[in-house]
Amino acid sequence: MSNERFLTGCSAAAQAAKMAEVEVICSYPIRPYTAIMMELAKMVANGELDAEFVHGEGEHAQLSVVLGASAAGARAYTGSAGVGVTYAGELYSPVAGGRYPLQMAIADRTLDPPGDFGSEHTDAMTFRDQGWLLGWACSPQEVFDNTLMNYRIGEDHRVMLPQMVCQDGYFISHIPDKVVLPEMSQVKEFLPPYNPPHPLHPERPVSHGPQIRPDQGAPMDAQRAAVFLEVPAVIREATADFNRIFGRKYDPFIEKHKMEDAEIAFFIMGAHSNTCRNTVDELRKKGVKAGMVRLRWVRPWPTHALAEAFAGVKAVASVETSTSYGGAMRGGNLVHELRASLYDLPDKERPLVTSFMAGLGGETIWLHDFEFMAKKLLNMIAEKRTSRYVYWIGFEAEGGKK
Amino acid sequence: MKAFDYRKQNLEPIKTFKSAPREEMYVPGHRTCAGCGPAENYKLVAKAAGRNTIFIGPTGCMYVANSSYLCTPYAVNWIHAQITNGGAVASGIEAAFKVLARKGKYNGAFPNIIVMAGDGGTVDIGLQAASAMMYRGHDVLFICYDNESYANTGIQTSPTTPYGAATTFTPPGKMIPEGKKLFPKDPPQLFIGGHPLLKYVATTTVAHPRDLMNKVRKALNQDGPAFLHMLAPCPKGWVFDESLTNEMARLAVETGMWSLYEWENGEYKYSHIPKNYKPVSEYMKHQGRFKHLKEEHIAKMQAFVDEKIRKIKAAAKPVEAAPVAPHRKK
Amino acid sequence: MKKNLPEFGKIVVPKERAVPFGAVTPAPESCQLLFMTGNWRQKRPVIDDKKCTRCLTCYMVCPDACWTFNEEEDRMQWNPSFCKGCQLCTHECPSEALTATPELDFEGGVVRLAKPF
Repeated sequence: MSNERFLTGCSAAAQAAKMAEVEVICSYPIRPYTAIMMELAKMVANGELDAEFVHGEGEHAQLSVVLGASAAGARAYTGSAGVGVTYAGELYSPVAGGRYPLQMAIADRTLDPPGDFGSEHTDAMTFRDQGWLLGWACSPQEVFDNTLMNYRIGEDHRVMLPQMVCQDGYFISHIPDKVVLPEMSQVKEFLPPYNPPHPLHPERPVSHGPQIRPDQGAPMDAQRAAVFLEVPAVIREATADFNRIFGRKYDPFIEKHKMEDAEIAFFIMGAHSNTCRNTVDELRKKGVKAGMVRLRWVRPWPTHALAEAFAGVKAVASVETSTSYGGAMRGGNLVHELRASLYDLPDKERPLVTSFMAGLGGETIWLHDFEFMAKKLLNMIAEKRTSRYVYWIGFEAEGGKK
Repeated sequence: MKAFDYRKQNLEPIKTFKSAPREEMYVPGHRTCAGCGPAENYKLVAKAAGRNTIFIGPTGCMYVANSSYLCTPYAVNWIHAQITNGGAVASGIEAAFKVLARKGKYNGAFPNIIVMAGDGGTVDIGLQAASAMMYRGHDVLFICYDNESYANTGIQTSPTTPYGAATTFTPPGKMIPEGKKLFPKDPPQLFIGGHPLLKYVATTTVAHPRDLMNKVRKALNQDGPAFLHMLAPCPKGWVFDESLTNEMARLAVETGMWSLYEWENGEYKYSHIPKNYKPVSEYMKHQGRFKHLKEEHIAKMQAFVDEKIRKIKAAAKPVEAAPVAPHRKK
Repeated sequence: MKKNLPEFGKIVVPKERAVPFGAVTPAPESCQLLFMTGNWRQKRPVIDDKKCTRCLTCYMVCPDACWTFNEEEDRMQWNPSFCKGCQLCTHECPSEALTATPELDFEGGVVRLAKPF
């Protein structure tokens, strides 16, 4: 009954968008996400997908076009990478605050300067505070699955938020892997049609977005924050449904690998988690009690799930493939929220935490890099302290990279 | 393949004030200045367009002043856009209605989709989106209400601010006696001829309500994009008594500062060419934004307008065969 | 263990401050009662019905749509709740049927109101 193919992350995203029957697509080319749009263009051209394929004049326009389309009641889809994501910057808050549940596919790319095609998570992470749902896949299958799940969650009337569905550029976007495509009947069972409460319909006129009163600035923010208190329940429901209908086994927020009795653990997101998982298995063979937690959702951040997962672990390495120049740890930006999540654990259960800058500029993170990280974690346990906030793989005096 | 029928309406011309639809789609109750030209404009556009309309309102006076304090004066659908993206948001709405109609999710007559952008939102920060929308051929009417400044933020210069106008970014002073040194962009001329699917462009003013309403209807009847450039004098920014808004618009036409024309399928049709143009000083003397100018500056303005008038008169005549240049003697 | 972790709390927005969903508000029908601008004016246009030719210029020109033509009574009708007193109508009237008259001259003139609308 199922349809097994070998697809890149880009192809998987396009297939999922097609099965989600997206109605307005706005394209603009930028490496490495362009292939998603190229495939959708073909589908529209040969009649496989009845959608308006709008050639946006830039990424800022892409977000604007899909905002309008979503307001008018159409399921809208767009995407970008790197500086394209930052160019659209003005629109993220208006889209989220306006509660337009459109989807943006992001295949990560390091930000300029200068042009660098390698994957870093910084592009999408830069906008994590604008009120979107945000998460990362670690395989083309998960890209496909996340596309459908995000529409389901985002368009739920308890949520009504736009979603960024992210995948590492090149590693996921361009390397094919096995993807099981479902039947349309399964998709229709999982994903109801888009049904916004106040579309721009000539017979039911409304005003979208007048200026609010001066005393409403704070309530506007508070109300936007309040939605995120509801989102986790919807994520749990939708993931359970997804697993049931499509036969998968996703944990709603985080993937836990060999965490039951882990003493050291990696905290990681995206493509490099695959190498990390392998390293954990290798370390286990050598008798090291290693584990991995892979983050699937950055927004909403699974604070409690992470605290529970890491409680009792002795030392944790946050693997950072994004930059936060001048930040608290002088490294990446996952570790800040990780430490915040673990801060309130009882003393005996709170792990030591350090971070490792790795995979920047689209570099491969090698198995031996993760082994280097594991060694550092074991040292921390021996010394009973975190001596460093951050290590830069390949740029440490003592090496750590071939 | 048979083209899908999106059920576009056909709007009839308005012959008299009496026969114009009485219903207001831009209703009383907005924070625009007394005598606001753009507001007068909006009312006429909304009246001509009627109920089956969706307005897109990029940030500007016609956003902020109209929608202050969580209420709007639009009896029809309206959505805020950024000042940067009126054309793009409108494109998305139009695309949505097209696909929803094809899929049977929308069964009404295709709505009028109208962007009401200021001059900044049309030819400055909004230029990219406006041009792209016209290039893509969306069935959208892009209207520029031109009050010749970024008025909403307190009167700053925009690309349509006239030479010599005082604004808070072009204040006259010892080093820059004229205030604004630059001559303005010409919005219709930016769009005419370079966008293959744009077939109708016209100019009008608030002082010519029948002309304005009929151009709106003609533009809406186009099967594709259209652009209207409307002069909307601003009592606050131009510094004149608020009862003289229409007077200023009339004087603009009578002095040649503004021309009334249509460009349709490649041909210019002038709605009105004054037999004898009044000197520009007749227009400028009523407006405080020009009061710092000296003779030499007014002369420069007159020269600029004279050149415009010359071009108009040349374009309005039938084109004769170009004279053959004599052979160069070697 | 979970019970020892801090909670996120509940956000309670008082109804009178709440912003509607997605900042989407209803469209007004014939006027926007939440923004009555009649208390702006210092002068009002007073019509001399004998001079009025029912040309409808005032109705066409008013940015605030404060002039309407009352068909049954065959007269122009003025909206005191919204007129800002700009006098565009007074200036544009081709038959000089309108005169700008100070609000102070009227018992119920807006400048006399103790409280705005």
